[in-house]
Amino acid sequence: MSPRLLLVELTRLRWRRAVLILLIAAVVLPAVIALARIWSTRPVSESEIQSVIDSNAQQISQCVDHPHRMGLPRNSTEQQCTDQIVSWYTGREKLSLARERTGGAGMGIVAVLAAIMLVAATTFVGHDWASGSMSNQLLFEPRRGRIWTAKALAVTIVALVTAAVVSTAYWLSIWMTVKVRDLPIVDGSFTDSLAYGLRGAAFAAAAALGGYALTMLFRSTVATIGVLFVVSVAGGLLIALLGLSEHWQPQKNVAAIVKNGTTYYVNVPQSCYSRPRSSEPEPNSECDEQRDLSPWDGVGYYGVALVAVMGASVVSFRRRDVP
Amino acid sequence: MSELVIETSGLRKEFRSRRGLRVAVEDLDLAVPAGGVHGFLGPNGSGKTTTIRMLLGLARATHGEMRLFGQPVPRLLPSVIDRVGAVVESPKFSPHFTGRQNLTLLARTIGAPTSQVDAAVETVGLTGRDKDRFKSYSLGMKQRLAIAATLLKQPDLLILDEPTNGLDPAGIREIRETIRDLGASGVTVLLSSHILAEVQQVCTSATIIGNGRMLASGQVDDLVGASTAYRVGAPDPDAARRVLTEAGFSVADGLLVDTDRPAEVTQALGAAGIWLTELTPVRRDLEAVFLELTAGTELGGDR
Repeated sequence: MSPRLLLVELTRLRWRRAVLILLIAAVVLPAVIALARIWSTRPVSESEIQSVIDSNAQQISQCVDHPHRMGLPRNSTEQQCTDQIVSWYTGREKLSLARERTGGAGMGIVAVLAAIMLVAATTFVGHDWASGSMSNQLLFEPRRGRIWTAKALAVTIVALVTAAVVSTAYWLSIWMTVKVRDLPIVDGSFTDSLAYGLRGAAFAAAAALGGYALTMLFRSTVATIGVLFVVSVAGGLLIALLGLSEHWQPQKNVAAIVKNGTTYYVNVPQSCYSRPRSSEPEPNSECDEQRDLSPWDGVGYYGVALVAVMGASVVSFRRRDVP
Repeated sequence: MSELVIETSGLRKEFRSRRGLRVAVEDLDLAVPAGGVHGFLGPNGSGKTTTIRMLLGLARATHGEMRLFGQPVPRLLPSVIDRVGAVVESPKFSPHFTGRQNLTLLARTIGAPTSQVDAAVETVGLTGRDKDRFKSYSLGMKQRLAIAATLLKQPDLLILDEPTNGLDPAGIREIRETIRDLGASGVTVLLSSHILAEVQQVCTSATIIGNGRMLASGQVDDLVGASTAYRVGAPDPDAARRVLTEAGFSVADGLLVDTDRPAEVTQALGAAGIWLTELTPVRRDLEAVFLELTAGTELGGDR
């Protein structure tokens, strides 16, 4: 594949307005999510505390009289009662890098980036088919394998770079906020978060590549998105109908890749319940309800699908007549 | 014999669909010599576009061999594609890009400099409109942009598929003049058209196909054939008819004399004291040849 063709495709991508709008959305949406997370975890201000104290004075005095009714020890002080009541009304979680990775917006950012990159890739190449300009391109470079590869590299590089920059910016903003708020940061948590973001970016780039390959196969953006929608709905139904374990759920496998491994639950044989309660089952044994899903399981799950789609896409593009 | 720029032998293209097998091109032997403008004539759906698409690697032939500049295609198409400019059916560009952006991307694909884009834009008269979006162009401007794209390669062979489709009379004349000029400058032009007058006006040689098969091929003059009839005008047509019949000529209605010896017609009438007011060779035109050859050919959909 010649670098010249890659540069042509990168230029074509840069000039395509719909793609640019999607790339802007890939920056704006995570920025909004980051701002929302920073806002929703903001420290409670003195005025908020005073406002809660003022409006709940009666409840605080009841607490002082009967602290046990508020779940406090009988000898609790007024300050403890006030803290308890204030915490009820201003209970905000504290921003934490670790919590963002496990249960915060970390996976949300990955999902947004992957979805946008996939749509950007399908839009990019779907337009070539819809306008008929693909045949014009082939009149200037008839080696179809080179055209396929140049376009694939262009969408993958743009998706990877954009997603990596956005992810890094997201984790940097969370880290800086935690630092400014003087909240505790576990050693290595920042680098873990950056690695999490980069794995997410790699997944988004793979989603873009998959979307591109599917569109080259179906020759239509609408067909690609339609097929992906049907597969996601029918796939979920099929997994449920066949009674397959969570191991086969797409979202579990994404989590395995991005979180560098995750766990899932399985139904264990009835015989496992007759064991003595005191004896814990061996990890990942037949009687262990919680199993590990390694990142390589996730890579295998999506990798096989991606390679199959890419193979079909290349063969189809090389062999079928171009309108 | 001059070098053949395009050569096909036993070319066949089948389309399989739910409705069954459809043969678009059948056993087509096409030979286009270097230089001049060669017409590729046939009714709509006769297989012209399919043949061109196979030559350019956009469609796969079911059977047969094709060569461009002596190189087998599609196998060695990359080695000759830089010498071939083509407009297949309607101009196909990205509608949201400007004309210049579309040309720039194609030029960069083959490593042509920006100056080539400027030159092509100027040649087809799009200067000033080249920075407008393609979707805002009229059909004539789109056709001109497509021709500009072919000029980026400075081609030795230009394949134009119905280039005057949808153009106004001025646009048609402009395109035809451009084609004639290109042919005269040494570029071989294959002009696919179903417009007989266009081929007769512009082309030096032609191939006529119908229903996917070649019906005739050769120089346009040869295809039309030499004149074998003369229309005679005389002050007394009945007397002239009588004199010519007695002289052994076959005379049809309208004093149409079937002969290739017009001098003997003047001699016979002069000897009888009848002075000619008209002696006009009646030539068949390409339309007559075309209708004769394509009579009975099935017309399918666009191919």
